[in-house]
Amino acid sequence: MGKARKPVQIVILLLVVLLGGYAIATSVFGGDGKPKEGSKAPAFELLGLDGKAHTLDEYKGKAVVLNFWGSWCAPCVKEMPALQAQWEKWKDQGVVVVGVNVGEDQMTVENFVKMVNINFPIVMDPGRDAVRSYGISPMPTTFFINKKGKVDSIHIGQLDLDTLDSQIGKLVGP
Amino acid sequence: MSGRTPLITNTKCECGHQNPVGTVLCEACGKPLDETGNSSENLEMRYDGVARRSQRSNPNVIDLVWNFFSSVKIAIYLIVLTLLGSMLGTIFPQESTFLNIDASTYYKEQYGTAGHIYYKLGLSHTYESWWFVLLLVMIGASLVICSLDRVLPLYKALTRQKIRKHRQFLTRQKVVLVTEMGEEPEEWVGRISQPLKKRGYRVITEGGALLAEKHRFSRWGPYVIHIGLIIFLLAVLARGLPGLNMDQHLAFPQGEVTPIPDTTFYLKNEKFTVEFYTEAEMPEEFRGKKVLPKLYETKAVLYECIADCGDPTRTPQLKEVAAHDIQVNSPLSYNGLKAYQFDYDLTPVLRSVQPELKNKVTGEAYGKFKLEMKNPQRSFEAGPYTLTLKEKYMDFGLNESGQPVSKTPYPNAPAFLFLIKGPGLPADGQQYFYFPKQVDKVQFQQEGINDKLGGADRFLELEVSSMQDVDFSESTAYLNVRVDRAMPFVWIGAGIVMLGLVLGFYWQHRRIWLTVQNGELILGGHTNKNWFGFRREIVSILEKVDMVVDEKSLDNGGGQA
Repeated sequence: MGKARKPVQIVILLLVVLLGGYAIATSVFGGDGKPKEGSKAPAFELLGLDGKAHTLDEYKGKAVVLNFWGSWCAPCVKEMPALQAQWEKWKDQGVVVVGVNVGEDQMTVENFVKMVNINFPIVMDPGRDAVRSYGISPMPTTFFINKKGKVDSIHIGQLDLDTLDSQIGKLVGP
Repeated sequence: MSGRTPLITNTKCECGHQNPVGTVLCEACGKPLDETGNSSENLEMRYDGVARRSQRSNPNVIDLVWNFFSSVKIAIYLIVLTLLGSMLGTIFPQESTFLNIDASTYYKEQYGTAGHIYYKLGLSHTYESWWFVLLLVMIGASLVICSLDRVLPLYKALTRQKIRKHRQFLTRQKVVLVTEMGEEPEEWVGRISQPLKKRGYRVITEGGALLAEKHRFSRWGPYVIHIGLIIFLLAVLARGLPGLNMDQHLAFPQGEVTPIPDTTFYLKNEKFTVEFYTEAEMPEEFRGKKVLPKLYETKAVLYECIADCGDPTRTPQLKEVAAHDIQVNSPLSYNGLKAYQFDYDLTPVLRSVQPELKNKVTGEAYGKFKLEMKNPQRSFEAGPYTLTLKEKYMDFGLNESGQPVSKTPYPNAPAFLFLIKGPGLPADGQQYFYFPKQVDKVQFQQEGINDKLGGADRFLELEVSSMQDVDFSESTAYLNVRVDRAMPFVWIGAGIVMLGLVLGFYWQHRRIWLTVQNGELILGGHTNKNWFGFRREIVSILEKVDMVVDEKSLDNGGGQA
């Protein structure tokens, strides 16, 4: 009995540390489940305007600018030209701009894309699944996701050309 | 507690048994070890005087951590701290009790500076804070370690009991009888065995010595409680694991199959009803003053997705799995998923209209088509005419530069722009603006817009002839959808705790030792509670062997409870 004592003690203390560490870690870092700067960008699978399903995984190895928008949201409409300009500038350097339409139907999205004349990939989130997993409340909200799939920064509100340029530069830069 | 043990102690008893450090009563004969004088105080019988596992002469780091958690004093401090912490969480409502608030401003607005400080200290989510979880984890560790540290030595001590005990062990119990005995020791011991057995004691004899014991299992009660508490704590901890716990408040517009996020389930609100008490049904003092709801009911059907789930390019295939009329406190329940009535909204939402294309000059009707608000068809046929849907606005309005836009994604003021082609129209067609709602027609001047678009001689008009051609979602039911798969384990844990409580409360571990030697009977008794009942039992047993003893004379002090 005396000899078995120590390993038993160590095993039990280890279990306590493991379980306790897990419990405390989830309470500290788990929080509300919304991604923060530095955390992993949540996966999504959404229907694109091209009729195919798109996931975050397919952009692995690329920096992703994930923009949540709606046709009824005025600042979203205003920042579209800036997004388009930056998409054209950076697309050959491993950057992809993805627009996530929130809660609208295909026709509205198609018409909008034609009207504002953008050609970066657009996916639709009619059930607001990605909105939920990304914890979006005001729009527009833009997530800058680095090549490792981690959230580099989050921008809430309208983006201008310069901010967008410097943020993308940060994603691509060393 | 181990501080009481001197650094170097001779732990060998005079009976020859070598005891571990920290032993109070010799493991073999029961002689008190910690004192030299002939004290006559009652013995400390906790854990039968054996050393706890953690008591060692030179503890290392692991031993020190172990000792910390094995201390009952520490456990009590932890419990008190947890109670105090829990109290802090009840000063203002916790964040988790609200659905849609911005906590960073809510507490300040609602409760002033105190609320702001409360929020800043993180007390608005007390029960999820790291220090509260840490306290719970430490209580859990303390439960495990305290139990192990005591239950194993106690078990050993109780299974290896020696029958013949040291005289001091007997005379310093709380129930003691020392009296002259003329009979042959073994014969008398044999005689008293019968009434003891009748009383439910297990009797072991060894010459003129006897040990009678009953209801030992009651000693395990506290440890059973601890096991239950540990299961309880682990179950609560496990709720944090993905898929084990879910609590969402979702909107279900009437007549729509709505997915429940993070599950494969879909729920359809077939009909929502709200009823209020009539004036006649209400007591006098409420009449004309209050509106009291009588019934909230959502007729719900639950579907499970069986194929093409989660693939956005396909329509999921659903199978009905459950149906229930959800009322307050009567949730729909299926495989651990529960949907409770939570709220409602009686604002009707337009879903589709079936307008008819008419010639307003001749009155000729060309045909009806169904125009959905969400994902409408793009082109329609009405008699010889083809209508192509060019633009659609859910909540029509004009932006700063005067262009038509949708102000929200909700169909509050839907508007549709068609291009109509057919006989009597220009070759490249005629544009036509259509507002399904009468109020919008007037407000946005549908006539005027169309006159501008098609010229004054235009003759086509889209009209809805009856309300049957209008499809509304009459209301929206808000349901609280919950999954709590850890709950059965919480109940199991609580059940085990209850079992432990019953074991510990309703039975007592009673033991009687006696030796007859040199014409003297020495009897010592121990129980963990109800000493009064124990003494009466001993008196009545002794009566059976024609020995009359005064109940009070058995009391050696201390055994009042």
